[in-house]
Amino acid sequence: MYSKEIEELLAKKSISIGDKVKVNSNRSEFTGRLMPRPEIGDNSILVIKLDNGYNIGMKFGEGFDIEKISGVPKQEKQKVRVKASKDLPKIGLIYTGGTIGSKIDYLTGGVFMLTKPEELLSEVPELAGIANIEVDNLMSIASEDMTYVEWQKIAKAVADTLNSGSRGVVITHGTDTMHYSSAALSFMLKNLNAPVIITGSQRSSDRGSSDAFLNLICSAHLAAKSDMAEVAICMHESPSDTYCSAIRGTKARKMHTSRRDAFKPINNRPIARVDSSGSIEYESDYKKASKDPEQKKVEVISGFEPKVALIKTYPNSDPGIIDYYMSKGYKGIILEGTGLGHTPVSTSNKNLSWLGSVKKAIDSGLIVGMTSQCLYGRVNKNVYRNLRLLSNAGVVYCEDMLPEVAYVKLGFLLGNFKKEQVSHLLNENIAGEITPRTEIDWFI
Amino acid sequence: MSVHEKDYYKKIGFKCGLEVHQRLLTKSKLFCSCSALLNGPQASIQIERRQRAVVGELGKLDASTSFESERGRKFIYNTFKGTACLVDVDEEPPHAVNTEALDIALLISASFAAEIPDEVEPMRKEVVDGSDPSAFQRTMLIGYNGHVSVNGKKIKISSLFLEEESSGIEESGKDKVVYNVDRLGIPLIEIDTDPDIETPQEAKEAAQRIGAILRLTGKVQRGIGSIRQDVNISIKGGTRTEIKGFQELESMDLIIDSEVQRQENLIKITGMLKERHAEVGMPVDVTKIFEGTAIKIISENISVNGAVFASKLSGFKGIIGMEINPNRRLGSEISDYAKTAGVKGIIHSDENLDSYGFSQSEISRIVQVLGIKEGDAFMLVAGEKSMAEKAINLAIYRAKLSLEGVPPETRAADSKTMSTKFLRPLPGGSRMYPETDANPILLDAKKYDILVKNAPDIDKVASDLRDKIGNPQIADQLLKSTKLQSFFNIIKDSNANPALVATILVEKMKELKRLGINTDSISDEVLSCVFSRYKARIITKSGIEEVIKAVPQECSDVDSIIEEKKLVRISGDELIALIKEEAKGLNDKSIIINRIMSKHRLNIDGEELGELVNVMLRK
Repeated sequence: MYSKEIEELLAKKSISIGDKVKVNSNRSEFTGRLMPRPEIGDNSILVIKLDNGYNIGMKFGEGFDIEKISGVPKQEKQKVRVKASKDLPKIGLIYTGGTIGSKIDYLTGGVFMLTKPEELLSEVPELAGIANIEVDNLMSIASEDMTYVEWQKIAKAVADTLNSGSRGVVITHGTDTMHYSSAALSFMLKNLNAPVIITGSQRSSDRGSSDAFLNLICSAHLAAKSDMAEVAICMHESPSDTYCSAIRGTKARKMHTSRRDAFKPINNRPIARVDSSGSIEYESDYKKASKDPEQKKVEVISGFEPKVALIKTYPNSDPGIIDYYMSKGYKGIILEGTGLGHTPVSTSNKNLSWLGSVKKAIDSGLIVGMTSQCLYGRVNKNVYRNLRLLSNAGVVYCEDMLPEVAYVKLGFLLGNFKKEQVSHLLNENIAGEITPRTEIDWFI
Repeated sequence: MSVHEKDYYKKIGFKCGLEVHQRLLTKSKLFCSCSALLNGPQASIQIERRQRAVVGELGKLDASTSFESERGRKFIYNTFKGTACLVDVDEEPPHAVNTEALDIALLISASFAAEIPDEVEPMRKEVVDGSDPSAFQRTMLIGYNGHVSVNGKKIKISSLFLEEESSGIEESGKDKVVYNVDRLGIPLIEIDTDPDIETPQEAKEAAQRIGAILRLTGKVQRGIGSIRQDVNISIKGGTRTEIKGFQELESMDLIIDSEVQRQENLIKITGMLKERHAEVGMPVDVTKIFEGTAIKIISENISVNGAVFASKLSGFKGIIGMEINPNRRLGSEISDYAKTAGVKGIIHSDENLDSYGFSQSEISRIVQVLGIKEGDAFMLVAGEKSMAEKAINLAIYRAKLSLEGVPPETRAADSKTMSTKFLRPLPGGSRMYPETDANPILLDAKKYDILVKNAPDIDKVASDLRDKIGNPQIADQLLKSTKLQSFFNIIKDSNANPALVATILVEKMKELKRLGINTDSISDEVLSCVFSRYKARIITKSGIEEVIKAVPQECSDVDSIIEEKKLVRISGDELIALIKEEAKGLNDKSIIINRIMSKHRLNIDGEELGELVNVMLRK
């Protein structure tokens, strides 16, 4: 937004963004197109796109004048052609938003969400040769804004798509919370008998170097061909555009803010690596789709208890946070403890010991689960005295489950099961989130 | 000198503008904290990427974009320690703009008396050749409406851009291109003139002048590749072509003249083809005709899954073989396009087909299959099937362009043949859009006005140099050369005689370089040490050359070279003693001097010897 004075002047002269204008200031004169003001910086600077494509900023002030020359140029609409081939397997593409679904407006430079997912397909024509793709424009939400309500909607869309004949599903999703959604879907989809592949991109698909192209192609191959009956995240395996990794939905984590290969399996190995030609190389055991014609339809167990907190403990951390959540009526807490699953217990300052608050929470009926901020490895309640104290207080030790996954799982369990079942199910494997053993090479 | 008189260029509608690219001397890159000095060792990680042509705003692919995607090459990026980070390989958003680079860019804008915007807006300029892993280059307009004076004429500098250097190319093949990303992101200034330049000679002089003004700031990188000039040329009836890669400015005018000749001939050819209603045919697979052929150049190329494709060129007879530059024909131009697909070239019917070993029946079958009539020509390519098919389509594309005139191309200057060579189609107006990951930068107009006021006056520098050096020719050469900054550094550090330093820098070191001695690797600091030793009377003038020949890299090397090569100067009492001994029984001064110099040429200063001999023999 421009300053009030500029907006007024523009309104007076009926000039709008994108118009060709002539601008005079004390220093110089330019013709070009009026651009929107970026949200940052001095809003009294007018941004003009010159004929050579460059933008230039001119300060509004004394002696400043602007005249309209012509209006916004007509932009030819992109032709969207997605030919469906009936011989190819049918898959669903559920579009939820995120970088992979965003595009730049080259005129103004603004990034906007694609409203027509077909546009995405038109930019990746290879997809039409892999599968007969049915697009579901479900929502357009940045992943940081996702909540359990969206997880429920996505789970339902997946079940509908599969139950109406698709042999697999690709979900495009923002990357930030992709691993929360993948965990949620892993728990919510009952009788899943097909690949559900979540993908996204770390570089927007308007640039020639975007990772979206390979990610989408590999995901489509998995959905169209794989006999996996699991939810998996499929993104770049390395910074190169050579392979993608399919990572189990309950064992994936975004481990880098910006790299293409940000998603890594933790306490697990990727299920498969895929390349753009569609060759799939399985790297570990996975749940295979059953060919039983009596196979049950996919069901969504959609309950979710939002009053669950994920709390990190650290030196000097105040256990009062537990009291706060109790007072707010929370029903469960996942602790992201240190090391094997510690919270401060025998601190010199008694007020910083978590034991009392944890005990109080459990006694009042909350489920408290323990995970580790180490991420890699398994928590253990027996090695140290402090661990035993917590465990005796009733904390559930969540094995090698990721803290975020344990959080999602606890919300899921509390939303669908009785409390007695919940504390029992929390550290029992449901959807690959807990492995009984840890291979030696499952580490960084 | 230009080949023709000035009027001639006016008559043919010669239009010429320069784009000078100069790396700035900064500690770090433009949008990250990597070293900008290309001094990091290569790292083991290589990154492989594919880039795709993203359809433009109007839903169309640009000629150069589709040309590159037609080639479908993969890009490999070599990474480096210290000089490349995640930003360079498009794995991290850019950091804040380097203010040191910004200050230098403003200083340079001021040196060309340019105006600056109130606010600089970082942009992304789409790049399709893979030289940028992000598929765009970050660039910003930093100045406009400047000028450079050449022989009293003001040539307008329309724009100055501060931008990221591209990756260095390590290897370019038909399937892949290997780039080094250590160079990527080094701050670069691009200086564009208007197409006001009237002769090839003026283009050369303008380029030299711009280079001199840049070096005068003392804030630009020196050494191979740190400054590059692109020349845009067109003549009446033609199209703009861009010439890149001038190895040295000395031959720029000759290469421009050769390009003028090429464009004149291409326009002539178009006229002839139009008169003949010439046409270019479709690709035809003629592999069958060459089964078991005796033509080596074909049989060799089709032995494994190969194919031969041909195309009819109606009305091209005699024209495809017309010379457009010495030893270059229209056929060579067509061949250049085909070669980018990986084939060795094309064969066309204006060539002596017998010399290739074509049999009469092969020729008559081609004539039959293609339907060749009087006045028609044909061309063919042989190679692995998909490659040959790609190649014939590219050849057809170029042959069709000859019906239109001069194809808009980016061409390379070749200083061996003194001509230009096809590189790729000229990109259309590159698509640009805002770099939303970097903030706009407000500039301080008052501070800039002071910079303009205090900008170095190159004419004053030139006249000062002439005064200081005494020899106007050497002084002017120094001003044009890349050694100007070295000169100032050495004079300041060693306090040596300016004329001597200038002569050694612009003449002696060039001479030694021609002999294959890498004099460019000697730093100013080390050169200052050499001249200090001379100033301190430790070595003679001749000794300076000897030390430089040994290419010292450190000041301590200078001293050990002096010792090893026995270059210590003989002077004063020691020289008097030597004269006494050599002069025994002799009276002729010149004989004495010659005798001494022949034995101790490197160790004795001729002037001192002359004076002493004069004084001593007078007694």
